Amino acid sequence: MRAIVSVASMRSAGLKLVLLLAVTVLVLVGSLFVGPVWNAPWQIIWDIRLPRTLLALIVGSGLAAAGATFQGVLRNPLADPFILGTSSAAAAGVMMSSVMGFDHYSALYCLSLGFALFSIFLVYRIARMQGRAQVQTLVLTGVVVSLFFNAAVFLVFSIFYRESFTTLFYLLGSLTEGEPTLILVSSAIIIFGFALTWLYARELNLLTQGEEAAQHLGVEVERIRKILFVAASAMVAAAVAVAGMIGFVGLIVPHMMRIIMGPDHRILLPASALGGAVFLLLADGVARTAIPPLEIPVGAITALIGSPYFIYLLRRRQREGQF
Amino acid sequence: MASLEVDKVSFQYLQGFSLHEVSLDIPTGSFLALIGPNGSGKTTLLRLMSKTLKPDTGSILLEGNFLQDFSSLELARKVAVIASEQHFDFPFLVRDVVSMGRFPHQARLERTSQRDRQIVDESLQMTQTEHLADRPVSSLSSGERQRVLVARALAQTPSILMLDEPTAHLDISHQIGTFRLLRQLNRSRGMTIITVLHDLTAAAVFCPTVVLLHQGRLIKQGSPSEVITPETILETYQTEVTVHPSPVGGFPQISYPADEG
Repeated sequence: MRAIVSVASMRSAGLKLVLLLAVTVLVLVGSLFVGPVWNAPWQIIWDIRLPRTLLALIVGSGLAAAGATFQGVLRNPLADPFILGTSSAAAAGVMMSSVMGFDHYSALYCLSLGFALFSIFLVYRIARMQGRAQVQTLVLTGVVVSLFFNAAVFLVFSIFYRESFTTLFYLLGSLTEGEPTLILVSSAIIIFGFALTWLYARELNLLTQGEEAAQHLGVEVERIRKILFVAASAMVAAAVAVAGMIGFVGLIVPHMMRIIMGPDHRILLPASALGGAVFLLLADGVARTAIPPLEIPVGAITALIGSPYFIYLLRRRQREGQF
Repeated sequence: MASLEVDKVSFQYLQGFSLHEVSLDIPTGSFLALIGPNGSGKTTLLRLMSKTLKPDTGSILLEGNFLQDFSSLELARKVAVIASEQHFDFPFLVRDVVSMGRFPHQARLERTSQRDRQIVDESLQMTQTEHLADRPVSSLSSGERQRVLVARALAQTPSILMLDEPTAHLDISHQIGTFRLLRQLNRSRGMTIITVLHDLTAAAVFCPTVVLLHQGRLIKQGSPSEVITPETILETYQTEVTVHPSPVGGFPQISYPADEG
């Protein structure tokens, strides 16, 4: 009897995932027809909106899946690549490769990933000094690291790019990158990073039980944590390389998906990837159409939604006495 | 055959506390309590035996093989550990938490088998947590959580179960219930049980073997009536007590006057 219930619950999770996939496809197709110009000619849809829609899809998926992974490994539902400073660090890497005149893509991705990895391990080491990473310490450390890299980014900007509106727009988080090679490389990295985290979804479940508990249940904690950090950082670096610093996708989406789908990462990771795509597609729709013919950086939209959401989560945890 | 052999193990924390040349043989099927005052090294010894800590000198053998040669996965099939504190930050259902105990027995993309489900159900039954199976673990009381942790450990189907203060947060009925369950596992499945205990009464009633530690050294090992005596209690806990056989079963029980002297 109980086995039937359990099978049924697995089936309902699968059903919800299929439903979410349908919603994603719907929003994806819909966003091709939304823009400053209604009834746009095929040329515009094909050349401008399609790459942009694909960009929103992979960047949203990557950021949300990375957020879910960070939250699980750090056992902290408030973790997000933007809040932890990973995004700013990756952006600093991108700026550096651009200033140093590396014109090959590999340099851009290597520096971006290198900086992202450096920052997440730094934040992790500092926050973990008392054994278990405390919620406040982790968030605070992340914010400081993020401020540091932001300062570095805007220092470079004010010296080398002060005339470039495109660069500013990129830094604030936008989906205007049209270079097919960049979109392709970032897609490949994000798909690979996602596959890797999904492969270790069960270990991620066990890590949420605590380091020692996971160890006693048979997880090689050190190794798995490194793999998951690298995979998540790669997704963040690839997203930042094409879309700049878009915040809070990795916070809001996994949190909502956890409410709908439950905490099991085997379901939560694909659900977050799909949810992230939907969320960013919608946010970009707003960014493109809110004040026509002007365009708002999509990072501003996600931050306007995300910051109050963060405060709400913080307040709720306080009320529940989880601090 | 001994399931665990601790041979002259020493260990020092950075902060200064250390364990000195502790040797201890634990035969298969033992039910053993580690007792001693706060800071005597009970938990440290348990953490060494579960490979959470690595000895500075000396060696530990598990079923004849060096403990440090076991991978986490191999170890998790033989040894289950219930630590004194467990935080649940994510709202996994009780059934999901207990199913995590099957992890060391499953291959990477393998689906949960009929046997896995059966073992999870049995573990829920034995710990009387069946009625909680579909509730989020974060919503349970501390006593209920403790039983879920025991269920998760049982799902590992270990030959050795290590516990650190398993009854610290429980009321007396759940305390007795937990110890009776451990006794049943020990008797019917021959499971070796090693537990850190503060409660000397429970140690005397349930554990045929008691090991007394003090200041990082093993002071005495034996049956409760050999180990729990006024002399050893005075030597280690610095407290004067009288010990007398309990009315039920004749186990050594401690009593003490309200005022000193």
